[in-house]
Amino acid sequence: MPPSLRNITHVFTKLGNLTFGGGNATIAVLHQEIIVRLGWITEDEFALSFAISRLTPGSNFFAFCVAVGWLLKRTAGAILALIASSIPCSLVVMWVTMAFSLVQSNPVVQAALHGAIAAAVSITFKTAWILVRSHLMFSRHSRYKTIFIFALSLFLHGLMKFSPIEVIGICAILGLFYMESAT
Amino acid sequence: MNVFMLYLVLLKASITSFSGLAAIPIIREALVIQAHVLSDAQLNEAVVISRSTPGPVAIYLVSIGYFVAGVGGAIAGWLAMITPALLVIPLIHFAGKKAENPKVKEVIKSIMIASAAMLFLDAIPLAQNAIFDVLTACIAVGSFMLLILDLVEVHWLMLAGVALTLGQYYWPFSISLGLS
Repeated sequence: MPPSLRNITHVFTKLGNLTFGGGNATIAVLHQEIIVRLGWITEDEFALSFAISRLTPGSNFFAFCVAVGWLLKRTAGAILALIASSIPCSLVVMWVTMAFSLVQSNPVVQAALHGAIAAAVSITFKTAWILVRSHLMFSRHSRYKTIFIFALSLFLHGLMKFSPIEVIGICAILGLFYMESAT
Repeated sequence: MNVFMLYLVLLKASITSFSGLAAIPIIREALVIQAHVLSDAQLNEAVVISRSTPGPVAIYLVSIGYFVAGVGGAIAGWLAMITPALLVIPLIHFAGKKAENPKVKEVIKSIMIASAAMLFLDAIPLAQNAIFDVLTACIAVGSFMLLILDLVEVHWLMLAGVALTLGQYYWPFSISLGLS
């Protein structure tokens, strides 16, 4: 039996806003809840939602929530899942940022921030690594292509000062061409 | 910068990226380099805040919005963050079976690799801003190694970083190898 809109709102509010560790960690928790515990969708529907959310620009997590909400209750389910999973955590972030702006000149806060920011820089580098890591582990062709596109992007953005959107457009076209030339 | 323009900038960044922090190059170019309404330090702080609170990484758009234009900016950031997610509806409705199409997969893959390269480049000035002595260098390098090896959760690393720099603040003689 499909869940009510109220139940959808409850689950996405609870899990979407209380799980630390980013979108992928939250999707793992949602998998446990909506498939294993509640049985709202099948594994195949979950896999479809996950795959499509990867093809959607922007946050994969919110796209995933919209996809599951749509499968459960079409447009109303999608919109409620999106709002429920995004508003509470956005309010928390806004309040934390407000508090941050008020106390950031305090020397103790400054000292604490230095450590947190140094750790956060490593997250940015790790994200870049994660985006390419899996593509380096397939075939030799995939590895060469990954290295080529990575190096080209560094060249275009770092040295030639192309804008990010220009680089993305060029690489998307090249990716298609490269794929066709390999088949 | 007015709130609507901020929404458009953040939406452009959000809609042209396929991963949370991958939008940073576009945001940095538009708000830090061109408009001068955000600093590299604030960009770093937004990432810290988003990783210290529950929810997906992309939530740093709300924080950036607040830094640029207060509560209105935060709302613009929230809208920019959620708007692209609605694109999944026509995708899952009409093109669900195309998700495994090799051409579509190759294009997405290329976009992700390009995003990674630009993210790497843009992380360098962020690192220059964050690393200014031996202790912060050790925290950054040590955190990176632990993250790569998947040994520690992100929030524990940030907590450890805070503890170490607070320790240096209260007991400066215990760690006195500053480079500056």
